[in-house]
Parts: sequence; C-alpha cells; structure tokens
Amino acid sequence: MARYGMVIDLDRCMGCRACMEACKIENNTPQGIFWMRVFRFEEGEYPDVRYRFLPRPCMHCDNPPCTKVCPTGARYKREDGLVATDWEKCIGTRYCHAACPYGANYFNWKEPQKNYYLDWSAAPELASVTGGMVPPYKNPDLEVPYGKEGRRIAGGGHRLRVIEKCTFCVHRVEKGILPACAANCPVAAIHFGDLDDPESEVAKLLRERNPLRLREEFGTSPKVYYLSKSGPPTAKSREIEKVGAR
Amino acid sequence: MRVSRRTFVKGSAAAVGGLALSQYLNGFELLKPRGAQAAPAVAEDWFPSACWIGKQDCGLLARRINGRVVKLEGHPDDPRNRGRLCPKGQAQIMALYDYNRAKTPLIRTNEKGIAGKWRPASWDEALALAGEKIKEARARNPELVAWQKGRSKAGSFYDEAFVKAAGALKLHHGAFCSDAGYRAGEYTVGPSGVLHPDFRHTKYVLAWGWNITNSGGNKLCWITYPRELIMAKERGMKVVAIDPRLRGAGPFADEWLPIRPGTDLALALALANALVGEDRIDREFLKKYTNAPFLVKDDGFFLRIDGKEQVWDAASGSAKPFDAAGIDPALEGEFTVGEAKVKTAFQVFREHLAQYTPEWAAGVCGVPAEKIRKVARELGENAAIGQTIVVDGVELPYRPVAIHAYHVSQQELGFQAVRAMILLMMLLGAVEAVGGQRVDFTWKPHENFEKLDQAKVKDPPYNIYLKDSKFYPINSNNSSVAARVMLEPEKYGVTTIPEVLIIHMTNPLLAFGDQEALIKAYKKFKFVVAIDTWLSETADYFADVVLPAAAMEKYEGPIGLATGYEDGKALRLPLMEPLFQSKGEIDIYLDLCEKAGILYGKDGYLDQLNKALKLKDEYKLDANTRPAVRDIFDRWAKSEGFAEGIRYFEEKGVKVSQVPASKRYGLAASPPFSGKRLRLYGESLLRLQEEMKGKKVEQIYWQDYTPLPVWRKPTMDLSGPEYDLYLISFKKIEYKQSRAHVPLLIELAPEQYVEINPQAAGARGIKDGEEVYVESHNAVTGETRRVRVKARYVEGIRPDTVGLSHHYGLWTNPWAKDRGPTPNTLFFSTAGYVTNTADQSFHVKVRVYK
Repeated sequence: MARYGMVIDLDRCMGCRACMEACKIENNTPQGIFWMRVFRFEEGEYPDVRYRFLPRPCMHCDNPPCTKVCPTGARYKREDGLVATDWEKCIGTRYCHAACPYGANYFNWKEPQKNYYLDWSAAPELASVTGGMVPPYKNPDLEVPYGKEGRRIAGGGHRLRVIEKCTFCVHRVEKGILPACAANCPVAAIHFGDLDDPESEVAKLLRERNPLRLREEFGTSPKVYYLSKSGPPTAKSREIEKVGAR
Repeated sequence: MRVSRRTFVKGSAAAVGGLALSQYLNGFELLKPRGAQAAPAVAEDWFPSACWIGKQDCGLLARRINGRVVKLEGHPDDPRNRGRLCPKGQAQIMALYDYNRAKTPLIRTNEKGIAGKWRPASWDEALALAGEKIKEARARNPELVAWQKGRSKAGSFYDEAFVKAAGALKLHHGAFCSDAGYRAGEYTVGPSGVLHPDFRHTKYVLAWGWNITNSGGNKLCWITYPRELIMAKERGMKVVAIDPRLRGAGPFADEWLPIRPGTDLALALALANALVGEDRIDREFLKKYTNAPFLVKDDGFFLRIDGKEQVWDAASGSAKPFDAAGIDPALEGEFTVGEAKVKTAFQVFREHLAQYTPEWAAGVCGVPAEKIRKVARELGENAAIGQTIVVDGVELPYRPVAIHAYHVSQQELGFQAVRAMILLMMLLGAVEAVGGQRVDFTWKPHENFEKLDQAKVKDPPYNIYLKDSKFYPINSNNSSVAARVMLEPEKYGVTTIPEVLIIHMTNPLLAFGDQEALIKAYKKFKFVVAIDTWLSETADYFADVVLPAAAMEKYEGPIGLATGYEDGKALRLPLMEPLFQSKGEIDIYLDLCEKAGILYGKDGYLDQLNKALKLKDEYKLDANTRPAVRDIFDRWAKSEGFAEGIRYFEEKGVKVSQVPASKRYGLAASPPFSGKRLRLYGESLLRLQEEMKGKKVEQIYWQDYTPLPVWRKPTMDLSGPEYDLYLISFKKIEYKQSRAHVPLLIELAPEQYVEINPQAAGARGIKDGEEVYVESHNAVTGETRRVRVKARYVEGIRPDTVGLSHHYGLWTNPWAKDRGPTPNTLFFSTAGYVTNTADQSFHVKVRVYK
C-alpha cells in the first residue's frame, strides 16, 4: 500500500498562487475557502529585506490530531495515508478545526450554493450549457464514493455547516493523476507521490535534500515536506498581500 | 470516456532540462471536435485550445463534461507552459461563464461622457448602424476611421487585414507598455524586442526592473521565464535585481540594487565607465560587429568618402572604407584625414563616459559606488571575453552575461536607458553571443533597423499621433499624445481628426496614462464602436455601439510558441458555442466589413486576409465569397503544410519545433549579424536632432536625440521640494497586463493600496492601512492630481518611492468596482512626461498626506 505525501520546494516557489486557483476550480471550493493556500511574507528592514512564500495544503499527518477529536468518525486516515473527510458523516462540530495546528480546515458558515462568487441563478441563459450546475464548472468526480470503504470523501462536501479541507485530490490520485496543485505548479515546486517507494520522486528528493516539516513539535508527523535553504517563515515574518479568505 | 494523463505511476516521469516538469503521460485521448459529424453522446473529453486572458496564449486542454467546460489545464506539449497555467489562466474559466460580460449588442440611448444607458439590439441592427457610419466616413476619407487595439489576438485578422481593408488609422498600446525599449532594440541591434538573457547559458543576469514573480518580461506573459529562471538558478546563475522595489524579484535576487526611479540610464553609463576603466571590453567584437571603429568628425557626424563610412587602418596609416578587405581598424584614437580631425566612435564614447564614474552615479542613483563597481567587476569576470563554446555543433562566442529589462523602458529617458544597457553588453561582446544578450528569440532583424535610421522629420499636417513629426520623429504611437492633439489640433499642425473609432478589446481610459486627457478627447469622436467581452469603462463613457465578443469560446490565431529554444504553432479553438449572444471577433469583423462594404473584391478584407495569412495560391480564399471561420483556419493550416488542415490542431492542439543555435544567435548568422553593424554610435539621432531644431521645436522634444546616451536630470525632478516622493507603478501576478473582472482573481488581490516604506510613512504620521492622498505634480504645467487610497507598509521599497499597482479603478463591473484607484489618473502625457520616442513615462513626483 502506498503512503502518499507531498514535497514542496520553497526555493522554487514563486508565490504565484496558480496552485490555489487550480485547486479551487478542480475542487469547486466556495468563496473564501482555499484548501491550498499560499502565504507571502516579508522579513527584515530596508534595505536588508527578504521575501518568502509558503504553500500550505492539508499536511495529511501520519499522526493526525483532527481524526482523534472527531466524534462521528467523519475525519479518518485512509490506508494510503490520506486524511479524509466523509462529508455525509460530518455533523459540524469543528473539533477538527480546533485541533489542527495548520489552519487547514474550512467550515461552511454560508450556504455554499449561494457562495460561489456570482449568483448563478441570475443567469438562466447559461442553463442550456451548464444544465443549471453551480458553479458552472462543477466537477462531477467530487460526488462519488472513493476507496474500498466506498465513502464520499472527495471535494463534493460543500454543504452548509460541514467542514472541508484538502483531500490530496483523492479523486485524481485514485486514477493515478497528480493532485491539481502539483499538476499545475508553473515551476514544478510541488511534488507528490509514494513516500514509501524508494524510487518515487518524493522519496528521492527527501533523501537528497534536507527536508523540514511545519510544527513538528506537535508530534503530528506531517506528510507534507518542505525543501528550503533558508528555512521556514518565522515569527518575524510579516504576512503580505493577503487573499480575501477566511 | 476516461482519459489517462499526467499519471505519476513509476516510470512516467521524464525530467526536462533538470526540472521534473513532465509527470504527465502524453498520448491523452482526444475526441471528435465540435462541429464534426452529429454531436456524439460523449460524457467527457479534453479539447485543445489556447489561453485567452493573458498575453502569450499558452496552449491548454479543456476538460468538458457533456460539452460543459469544467477545468482548464496547460497543454503538456506547449514548450512555453508545459502543462501548467498561471493563476489567471486557471481563473479564466469564470470569465467564460461570467454573466457580467457584454451579452447582447447594445446601442447607446444617452449622451456621451457619462455612464452609458443602453438598449439591447439585434446583431443586424447594431452591425448595420456601425457599418453605415464606417462606410460614410470612409467615403470622405478612410483616415476618418481610427482603430485601436489592446491585447487583441490574431493580428493577421485584425491589425493587418481589417486595418488595411478599412484604410484606418491604427492606434497602439505599446507606448504604454515597453515600446521605448523596442525602439532601442530595433535601432541599436536590429531585432524587435527589449532585453532578455539566453537563459540556458547565462551565468550572471541583471534583472533590471524585471518583475520576476509577477509579470513576464520581454515578449512573454509570465510562465515561461520563471521556469527558465529556476532552471538557470539551479545551474548557478546569479541574479542582481536593479529596482526601487524588491517585491518583483522576490527571493530570487542574489543582490538588490535599490535604484532611484528614473536614473537607470545613469547606472548603465556608470557600469560602462567602470568596465572601460578596467579594460574589460571585447575589442574584437566592437571592431568587427559594431560601428565603434567608424570615424566621427568634430560635428558628430561620420566621415564619409564616396558616401561610405570610414575607419582608420593602422597598417597603412590611412582612412579606409569600413568594409574594405584585409584591414585592421583602430578602435581608439584621434586622426587627421585630409583637413578633418576625426576620432573613432569608440574614442568618442570613451571620452563621453569619463564623466559618468560610479562615484558620480552613486549620488544620482542612490546606489553605493562600491556596489556599482562590484557589479561591473562581476559582469566583466563572468563575461568570459575571448571564450567560445560549441552549441548544436557550432562553435560560437560565449559571453554568459545579460540584462532582463522590459517595462523599465517606460520612463523619461527610457529609449536611451535601454540603448545604454545594450551598449554595456556590446562592450562585453555579449550581444547575440551564447549566454549573452537576447533581444528577440531568434536573429531576425526588423525593418525598423533601417527605417528608424532613415527617419525624416516632415512638415505638417501630421496625423493625430504625430507620426514623422518634428515632435516625435521616432514614434511609438501613443494614444495619450493622440488625445492631447485632439484637444488642440492646431498647436500640433494636425488637420484631420478621426470621426469614427473602433476600440477592440482595449480600455484606454484605464489602460493608458493620463485618464483626464483621454476622457476629454474621446468625447470628440463622433461615433465609437466597442468590440469587447466586457463593457469597458471606455465603452461606458463613449461607445455608441457595443458588439459583444466571445471570451475564449471562439477561433483565433495563429499563435506562435516561441521560447527562444523551441517554437511552434497553435490555434484558439472554440471550447463551446459562444455564450450569451456573443460572437467570435473574426465573425464580427466579417460582418462589419460586409456591412461597411469592404469585405469583398480586390483589397477587401478577404483579399487582405490572403496576404496577412500568407496563404499559398491553392489555399487562397475567394475574395467574393464569405467563408466560415473554421474554413479560413483550415486553409491556413494546409497552406502551412498540415495535410490534415485544422484537424491537426483539433486533435493535437500544438505543433512544436526546435530552434537550432544557428537560427538563434546573431553571431551564428552567416555573415554574423547578417552583415549589419550594431549601432553603438547613433549618428542618425544627431541628424534628427538637427532636423528638429531646424523646424523650431522646443528643447524638451529634441533633447534626448543624441548619438550616445546622455544623462540629464529627469523633468519630474523639477517639481518642488514638497513633492518629495517618486511614484512608480507595477503589476501583480493575479492580473498582469489585463483587466481584472474575474471574481476568482479579485478574491486573490482584492484591493488597491499604495506601498510606502515605514520610514517614509512614519515621518508623515501615516499608519499601516490608513487612507491617504497621493498627489502628483506636473513639473512643466504645474498641474496637480490626487487619489485617495489605503497605505500599506512595505520594507522592500526605497523610502523616497511609493508604488501603486495597475489593475484597479474600474467601475462598470459590479465585482471590480470600488476597489481603489488606478495610478493612471496620476500620470501626465504632456511634454516632459511623453518623451523622445513618444513613449509614456510611468514615473512622477508625488506627495503623500492624510
């Protein structure tokens, strides 16, 4: 059984946020919700200034704090290491949100169908093309069950008072296709694959480079690794150019 | 139907030039194109087309579910984007479905110059009205019709065939973009372009105003250069960012020279001074390939004998024609030929440079002299003067140093600043060498190399952008100049003012400098047709008719795939039928030409299209039969050698070819540089200066027409001491060059702010996030203008400089409005701010207060 993980090369990252948009469209996330979120930071004082970018998906921890606090078992870890959300089982306690040290969970406070930017019901002329889908680029792969357990865990869970987060694009991974963010990174900074396969690109990168993980002190054992010559952002890093997200 | 692509299963990864970019499998399956046979009941397909929302039209694949587009992904075979799209490219899927687009033809029902009121009209009515106005104006004088484009695509269909068929006056956008740099490249080297490195070989690059992380660069949109940069950095290339603001180069700058805005020419001259002082120059290059050895008389003009430029032959101790065989021309020295005292052009340059020491430049540019000397030394060390390298089996000079410069050219001294940058690279022998300075992707001298050299100052009447005039004899065609002229035509010797304007996918009121002048001037057009996907602000104020253009759901092209190393062809193909009541622009032009009576016959649109698309005889369109758009592209594809015609593109999307070194470098051409001499010394600029003076034009117009780049204090510096900050403008990756109507992008970069260094803000009592006024001052006319905007603390900007991004200040789109002002209201287009080549300066002195 594979154990999927991600290796993000911060020395390549341009902070362009193309991964955020690829994720957003692939997974149909509502307004203000970014399963993949790229932070931009400024450090230092003029003229000794440095910029730094940090893409942050769900860490799909090997020891995930979010699964332990979920009262319904909606949040669980799959055999292949993906940390999944069964959106049919989620009752909206937001315990996972409180437990996660990475801020990777997003709660649907608003009715998602009314939170896709434009009011798509205002354009009946689109219906002949879109069949009334909201959003018009709605991805049918997100609705169906995945895994041998057959649970609904892909991005279709945009429902009122239901939590959602990065799925590592389970609907693509099960087809052998890269997650949307990794597939779209303009500078190939995001790598994805089987951490346990010594021949995989991610395993090679982890062997060759000196990887780091975020907030390891929590014992979460994240499966998202970062490569960076200058280390991760620190408390002195100032966030700049914030997106209109929660 | 399930398609398998981009798998990451073992063995599928193929590293590309050190970057593992190809985790995809090719061989994705494609289904029947739209329009072929009866619609099959397909659940899913991936249909090839091209990005529409940016500048370089990256190849893409659209995932369609029952014909509904659900995702756009980069085309894996397009060498420019290799399966990836930028955030704009991804987000354009919402532009496709955006019901805030212009949905039906509109006819204006209220007066102009204020927000428009409209009634929806049928295509037939709208086209008939527009066609009639064009026909009526053309009958009197075709130049009464003006055509203005923005980032319009498919130049053969629009810029060439339509403009020629209509005989219209064409207005450009380049004078607001980077055209001063293009003119410098064309005039000094030959190819049309500004400056970029030979990424796959360069070791040391000056990122001169290059907004690496946010906005392309010379010729390309964005995605290609970052990839090349990463590969080069991982190979060890060093990047020196020369920019008042560090954010653009971001973490990719190994060294930052925070230069004072508008002083780039001074820095380039100082670097040249240091290189000459340390004798780090490529004498062979200068002698053989440039006009550096040409003999210059006291009056600044070349010594010519029998019409031929002369050089000093040391062996015979006499002047010889520059192209005489078997001579060794002197690079330096002072000589006497007959009665004339002459010096080599290089000698003149060397003496001219003496004043521009790094210590002098430190005071002008605000960059320490030792840093300037260090960069000059590193340039010299990395240039590997004298070395060669074998590329694609050809041995060529190897000079792995270069400059990447693009929009930095839009400043008062832009043309000469870029010329000085090129001269710097000439000193190192790096122009068109392997690893050295690129201007275009291949060695392809532009007609302007000769045309600009031969330019003549003519007598009035001039056209509205003052072509061939005493004001701007080298002329980048500036719409704000046209606006000024329309307000006072007599002052400029202009007698013909266009009456009908067609604005195609452009929004002059927001896109160009000097909104105020544009608003006053555009009121004077009697009839304005807007062809656009959204109702632009310009259309809102001035259009009489709006013709709604499809977004990406249309045919357009042909699209080139040049990266410098690869090339190829692609087409934009309709992913679905045009939404709402929109139409593809090519259909719109066919309609409009038919109504205006310029579609058929000799020199009609179809006849012009045959020429513009260079269709071979057997594929030419019948000039008297209206074709279907698909058929036009089918003929084009067959004419280009694609036996299956357009089906090739419908099935495969892109055709890729390799560019060998022999085609890439000017030094690989036979003879090198096609026998042309690079213009270190711009003699014709001096001639133009004298002609301008002869026509009694003021110094502010002729002062930068000098054979060698001469530093002068920028006009903006004449503003009073209370205007103590420089305003610069910049672009964000979320929007880059075009309009920002897509809610997905607005979410990423929701509002305008003025970037200010905390030192400067603190001195003014301005808190982070607080609203301030930014007030600009015109040093020539005394006029002031101001905007209200939030201040944002940024350490990575000079304390004497503030920055505003473009992209904001829109008002017609409910999502884009009320997000802060555009900086374009603060820039001026009067003399002093539009200079030399009629290019717009995007620098002005401002004060910032609460």
